[in-house]
Amino acid sequence: MECRAVVSSMSDYIDKHEMWLSDIEVREIETHLIACSKCQSIKLELTEVRTAARELPLHTPSRALWARIAKEIEPEVPRSERPTRVERPALSWWARMKSRQFSFTLPQLAGAGALAAALIVFGLFRTSNQDQRDFNIIKAPTALQTALLPGEDTIKAEIERRLSVINGRKMNWDPQVRDDFERHLNKIEESLRYSRQTLQNNPDDRVQQQMVLTLYHEKRQLLEDVERLKW
Amino acid sequence: MSNASNGKAVVNGMLLKGSLSSLRQVSAMVLGLLFASASSSTAGAQPLSKSFTVSPESSGLEVINQIGSIKVTASGSNTGKIMINARQVDGDARVNATQTQEGKVKVEVTGRGTVDFDIYVPLSTRLDLFTYKGAITVANLTGPVRARITTDGNIQFTGLRSSRVEAHSSSGNVVFSGELLPDGEYRLKSFSGSVDVTCPSHADFKLSASSFTGVMDLGGFPMKFDRQTNQLVEAAVGAGRAKVFLWTQEGSIHLRRKP
Ligand SMILES: [Zn+2]
Repeated sequence: MECRAVVSSMSDYIDKHEMWLSDIEVREIETHLIACSKCQSIKLELTEVRTAARELPLHTPSRALWARIAKEIEPEVPRSERPTRVERPALSWWARMKSRQFSFTLPQLAGAGALAAALIVFGLFRTSNQDQRDFNIIKAPTALQTALLPGEDTIKAEIERRLSVINGRKMNWDPQVRDDFERHLNKIEESLRYSRQTLQNNPDDRVQQQMVLTLYHEKRQLLEDVERLKW
Repeated sequence: MSNASNGKAVVNGMLLKGSLSSLRQVSAMVLGLLFASASSSTAGAQPLSKSFTVSPESSGLEVINQIGSIKVTASGSNTGKIMINARQVDGDARVNATQTQEGKVKVEVTGRGTVDFDIYVPLSTRLDLFTYKGAITVANLTGPVRARITTDGNIQFTGLRSSRVEAHSSSGNVVFSGELLPDGEYRLKSFSGSVDVTCPSHADFKLSASSFTGVMDLGGFPMKFDRQTNQLVEAAVGAGRAKVFLWTQEGSIHLRRKP
């Protein structure tokens, strides 16, 4: 088994989603891990990310891991289509978190929910321009703005990164395909704005928190799908 | 019409690649079926077939379609084979079907065009089905299944006895009928379509159902509610053994008991 194949199955392997892997694949992965130190350390650090996500915001995964994952992914994206990363001044762990780009499964984000109340004390709601039109909130300096939910800025950053890659490619798509994509993206964004507004009015509502997270997840999935098609 | 004769090598057809059971030589052994069809003719509608030998206990299939439907039927009679029929509806899409060293069959559509799949698999096959736009139908499977439609299309599962089911459509209905196995996990989601589940009256499961703006009709099963709001219901039926997670943003949710 090649490293590439091992890395692509790693997430299912770590999450014990063994139903997506046959017994043979599990055995192949395990055999490979014994022999390959590179994959072994990717596995260790991915496990660490999972644990860190569960304990948000106490730990963050190492920068080295992200660098390594980025190295794995970026050769597949033409240089001209890579997003340029905008560095913001890092004021706190929370601000530093924003520049990290890794993905969580929903239960992991939900697991961090207990910290939501504490984080909301930071209380300067980060809003998009659209949100500001909707809610007429005075714009705070970017670096001080924060999310309504733990992990929100991280998932937002990830979505923005993926979206900028897709926006660069979209012009070459079939017009019908592009229309379908944009229609669905708009629908999700509209619901997200509405749900966020509802949550903003009642920040401790756990059902609303879950709704907002689900919509972010939905938006990210839409982008992942398009990446899977390699258009 | 020949492609070569007009000096333009236009490949207006499908390429189906596959490997036979000598797995080590997968990349070398490209069994190519290439045929051309003039865009003015209807030859493109002619189906292509390819079958792979698999071992029933480790059978796996991944299909990545672009535009078009995927229909998978599981049967006990063809235990050692995955049989793929692909029909090009329009455009000039290519279909690549390969088998990995581990035995998993991967089917991927590239290029532009609509392709409809009609596939037969062993009962316990692990399925991972994906289309950007088009319907997904799965019948009689016992293996785990993951089905995803990015934009429009309905997902329909009938007669399933799988322990893991994941389905998502953006604007299409998700319809499930089958068993809820004691250790099973069932996650059915649609953004703007409805989610409809029918299972036997002896089903024993923990339910989480949420609909943001739609109607929830959970009639038919006696439940112990842990949480009950307009948008979210968490409840147990029986001892709560299987896990059932239903979500729709705009559609309605129906949970029905098999008569
Ligand atoms: Zn390796």
